[in-house]
Amino acid sequence: MATSSTLRIAWRNLGRNRRRTFLALGAIAVGQLAFLATAALLHGYAEKYFDSATGPLVGHIQVHAPEWRDDRSIDLTIQDIHHTADEIRKDPNVAHVSPRIFAPVLAALTEDGFMGMVVGINPALESHKSGLLGDETLSGKIGDRCILVGRVFAQKYDMEPGMQLAVIGQDVDGSIANDLFTITDILSSPVAVVNNLGIVMSLHDAQELLLMSDQAHEIVIHVDDGDLLDETVLRLSSSPLLAGMEVLPWQKIVPHIVSMIKFMDIYLFIILFIVFLAAAAGIANTMLMSTFERTHEFGMLLSLGCGPGRLSRMIAVEAVILGLLGVAIGTVLGLGFFLLTSETGINYAALGGDKSTYEMAYKGLQISSFVFPKLYVRDVVFAVCAVLLTSFISVIWPTLHIARLAPMEAMRS
Amino acid sequence: MENTLVEATDVKKDFYTGKITVNALRGLDLNVHKGDFLSIVGPSGSGKTTLLNLIGALDVATSGEVKVFGKDLSSLSRRKRADLRLKSLGFVFQAYNLVPVLTALENVEFVLELQGVGKERRERAQAVLEDLSLGELGDRRPNELSGGQQQRVAVARAVASRPRLVLADEPTANLDSENAKTLLEMMRYLRDEHDMTFVFSTHDPLVVSYASRVVTLRDGRVVSDEQKNSIAEDDEATVH
Repeated sequence: MATSSTLRIAWRNLGRNRRRTFLALGAIAVGQLAFLATAALLHGYAEKYFDSATGPLVGHIQVHAPEWRDDRSIDLTIQDIHHTADEIRKDPNVAHVSPRIFAPVLAALTEDGFMGMVVGINPALESHKSGLLGDETLSGKIGDRCILVGRVFAQKYDMEPGMQLAVIGQDVDGSIANDLFTITDILSSPVAVVNNLGIVMSLHDAQELLLMSDQAHEIVIHVDDGDLLDETVLRLSSSPLLAGMEVLPWQKIVPHIVSMIKFMDIYLFIILFIVFLAAAAGIANTMLMSTFERTHEFGMLLSLGCGPGRLSRMIAVEAVILGLLGVAIGTVLGLGFFLLTSETGINYAALGGDKSTYEMAYKGLQISSFVFPKLYVRDVVFAVCAVLLTSFISVIWPTLHIARLAPMEAMRS
Repeated sequence: MENTLVEATDVKKDFYTGKITVNALRGLDLNVHKGDFLSIVGPSGSGKTTLLNLIGALDVATSGEVKVFGKDLSSLSRRKRADLRLKSLGFVFQAYNLVPVLTALENVEFVLELQGVGKERRERAQAVLEDLSLGELGDRRPNELSGGQQQRVAVARAVASRPRLVLADEPTANLDSENAKTLLEMMRYLRDEHDMTFVFSTHDPLVVSYASRVVTLRDGRVVSDEQKNSIAEDDEATVH
């Protein structure tokens, strides 16, 4: 336990060589800032990936016919889709249930055809933040052979609202399916496949086109509480209506995103290790120089009967004060960075000199160039604990030096 | 003998520097008695500081016996020797031996704290400074004090716990004669008024002139041990 005089001596000793103390403080503070800024950016990225993963395309849970994910065969469907969706909706943790149909087709405006993807949805069920249509109001109508087409898809083939699009594909029986649809709007979607190939129509129109009466290929489910995901999956899996169906949490559908988020944690740990290795070197260097400079003084105190343990405590308290001061300054700077950027976000495109934003597609997920830093109390607590530990580790050498000091030899130094 | 504070018998101390052995003390005998104001004199290398370090439990003899307050120092552990220094001995060194980041009062208080004195240590430290007419220097740090003032504060620190024996290694070496005189008067006051015993190592004739007993060392042995009347003392000096 540090007594008041130990604290007083430790505090005042830090002022003996102010330049050195400021340099050490600066090193620790910059280290802490670097750690917090990195943590905030990585958490921001992790959240972005999580949001993308659990957003419109994948959701929190998906239900499919077995093997549909691998084969994408049009006839691998979920039957009695309306009733099934209604039953799923009764689960206490389920927020949104979106049945969908996906079918590759040939589309044509004139004589030339091109590849497209029919995306059959229920517009009412997809018009929310995590739905395929988002929470923005669309001017175009969906249903009764009125469709939307993806933005990139439309640009590529010069499609505009009002045009008629012929769609030719294969229905569940293997026969030719075709119909004529009217484009009512262009859709900007966070889902790459919808943007690039999407012929978005009502579930009913898609069912009629593909002869999928009351069927769909997948049900995308969004939950209220992500922490209760496993229990929800378990409940749904045991439902008789979903017997024989594949009920999967998002982690099993996009495992690469899970790996990326885990990798970020490891990356953060590596950053923390490097930063605090540097901080430890800074503190150890400062304390060692300070200890060697004061060898005569320590010899005098030992001569008076002061124990080496007391002297070691003095050094340790000095290191802890130095560490905590540095980490406090670094934390203030880190929080400043967080407050400045957490609302506005950081646009990586702008950092590269581009005034626009960009959307990066990764494994079908659309990820924007904006990142919104996130910081948690645990990051600060973790860093403070790491600095404390670092401070104690960094005084091992000075402490060993003190323990070996003989009073008179030290005084002669 | 109750009045004998230190008994050094046939004390030898060797130092080893590589292959060279230096015989600093070569069978030295010395007793220090209660009330002594003893100067150890002799040329450089005669063993003055070595002897003081052995008496002060800062070092151990190669052979022979050093007893302080009846305790054989060679039988004490490092920790017990530190405890003896802390609680029963006072030290005054040549110079620059105050904790630079503490004020004069805090320097005195710090030693009392090391000794385990509770909350009253501040009052006690202040009282010691007042007793030695240093009260007005209490809030100054060492770099705000002259060399003489620093040494007087060092004496105040050494005697704060009322040790029976105070050891001073060339305490006036860095002082002018005026400051040296003030310091010696203070020490003699402590001897007279607080029953403390002082042992100095010194080259300074002024210190010798104040001493009640002068022990001369040469080549690690005592070559003379004389009682004398110190200046400004009554002719009837204490004879042990």
